[in-house]
Amino acid sequence: MALTAERFIFRLLNFWVLHSLALVIRLFLVGYGIYQDKTMVVKYTDIDYHVFTDAARFVTQGESPYNRSTYRYTPLLAWILVPNIYVTPHFGKLLFVTCDVLSGVLLYRILSLQGLSSNAAGCFSAVWLLNPLPIGVSTRGSAEAVLSLLVLSTLLCLELKRRFMAAFFYALSVHMKIYPVTYALPIALYISSRGSLEGKGRSLFRILRGLFNKNVVMFAAVAGVVFLALTIAFYYMYGWDFLHETYLYHLTRRDIRHNFSPYFYMMYLSVESEWSLVLGLVSFLPQLLLLLLTSVAFYADLPFCCFLNTAIFVSFNKVCTSQYFLWYLCLLPLVLPRLRLSIKQGAGLLLLWFIGQGLWLMPAYYLEFEGHNTFVYIWLAGLLFLFINSFVMVQIISHYTPRTFHQTKKTE
Amino acid sequence: MIILYFLLIVFCLIHCGHSQKDEVICGLASSWLESVVLSVNIEKKGFHRELLYEVKHDPTPHVIKTLLIQRLPSGVYMDQYQLASLKEDTGLEVLLDSSVNLEDPAYVSPGFSALVYLRPAERVLQAAVPIHGRYHRPSNSGGWEKVTIEGPKLLLRPEKYETKTLPADLPHRVVKAPCTVRNQSLCSWLEIQTSLVSDSVSLKLPVGNLSLAGPVCAGTVLATLLCCALLFRSVWKHGIF
Repeated sequence: MALTAERFIFRLLNFWVLHSLALVIRLFLVGYGIYQDKTMVVKYTDIDYHVFTDAARFVTQGESPYNRSTYRYTPLLAWILVPNIYVTPHFGKLLFVTCDVLSGVLLYRILSLQGLSSNAAGCFSAVWLLNPLPIGVSTRGSAEAVLSLLVLSTLLCLELKRRFMAAFFYALSVHMKIYPVTYALPIALYISSRGSLEGKGRSLFRILRGLFNKNVVMFAAVAGVVFLALTIAFYYMYGWDFLHETYLYHLTRRDIRHNFSPYFYMMYLSVESEWSLVLGLVSFLPQLLLLLLTSVAFYADLPFCCFLNTAIFVSFNKVCTSQYFLWYLCLLPLVLPRLRLSIKQGAGLLLLWFIGQGLWLMPAYYLEFEGHNTFVYIWLAGLLFLFINSFVMVQIISHYTPRTFHQTKKTE
Repeated sequence: MIILYFLLIVFCLIHCGHSQKDEVICGLASSWLESVVLSVNIEKKGFHRELLYEVKHDPTPHVIKTLLIQRLPSGVYMDQYQLASLKEDTGLEVLLDSSVNLEDPAYVSPGFSALVYLRPAERVLQAAVPIHGRYHRPSNSGGWEKVTIEGPKLLLRPEKYETKTLPADLPHRVVKAPCTVRNQSLCSWLEIQTSLVSDSVSLKLPVGNLSLAGPVCAGTVLATLLCCALLFRSVWKHGIF
């Protein structure tokens, strides 16, 4: 009996079986979503998906996608989704689902390159492929999977030393969403130390000098040109609206409505006060300090460093919604193989994280749908959630064996 | 969705009953008009509510079109995109007089008007229109902010021409407003003033407590610095420098 179960799991983790299963589950849910949207009051499809489709419709009419209010993405996305108007309204979902499964393929590839057996690689990429969170998000029509695909493509290309392609994908991912900008420093340090590694002490001076390494400059130039070309082209087409909605809005965003961020209630209470600017700056510092430190500390293990940077960025951000959790979830399978945590400890941390979310969701529900004044509870739950996130990160950092350059060299 | 701009309603204070050329709207008997009753209620709790409109009247051989003009204060908004999807699903017909920002707090938002077209029915016409509360300025003691929504104007328009005239003493006036949701050219409507419009409905929205600003800021900064220190220590200890 145990043997057949084992054989079943073994088969499941086979590359083709796993990815086909992941695709079939997603396609089934896309189909189910169509059914639920037609028959039920509560819709399956995410509101953002309608925003994308409306923006794509404007594009087909030769108008700006920013005519759709709350469209805060690159025009590229609206363009890609033009078949939503001409072919089928479900085109976008099929595209996101494909990106989602392709992200799984890339995870598998990266894990294999890191020396994992095909079974182990399948096992860890299943954490993404069979995870209900990304499955739900992509089948409901959220575009996060496009970004995870771009970020993972960047990491894979860097692993394969194809810096030109890596720079291209990196520029695209920053263009799509701003948060991968936090990977710039670790990527630069990673490339510089990989190019001219003497394996000796790494003083700050050496690190800084490394940033002007030939390969780094090449990467920066390619990424810069691609990013600027996209920015200039879209600015030329859609003007200030593009700059504001795609970049500036996210940089200056001060959403006072309740969200997971520990800063939400402080922002709400101080939004009109003279302290607002100072507090905004103060809340930016922990994020910046930690991002700099982890970049320098872990750049040699780039996937781990990106994972930590994203988790820190999201946890300490001024705005945080549940979509943001996906940004680091797609990097988690790359971290797990080197994590020395028992199943029990891992499950405990996961449970703690869910409890943190639940404790926030409860007062948020009472505020939004019952009209109770639960602002203080939401604030406290936000702080507790930050503590839990920090605790989980500390546990991960202390139980992780990072790759060093010696190991990286050996696996090449 | 194309943003629905349309002309503001032109009030033209024309009295029916004399040698009125615009006989379209003068086809309703005053006794019937008196049977028209409008009620407004607010359903659900929290930030997401529903305005429930109900118009009752005696049976009439004519097909009467009914339009409600609802002025909404800055404290609430309607989501034009949600309305568009409801139009597909349930046939709810609502026009907004301007494009409405879905995210701004109340203190930077202007009010707006919504035109709710009720579908013709035998006796009772109903519509449920979703509205959403905006965030308000925090107050010195927290609690709730009351948002009052005035009762709507009720406009009627008989489908077919009728030549009968109305008694001149009936207080009513002719108003120009978009004919239907699809055909936004202006039609003449009869504004009913004798109907028993409920005065207003109100909702209460939770607001932040400004007197807690000090402790909240201090608590937030302390908590984030503490977490930052915890993480810093851990990275410093386990990082590869």
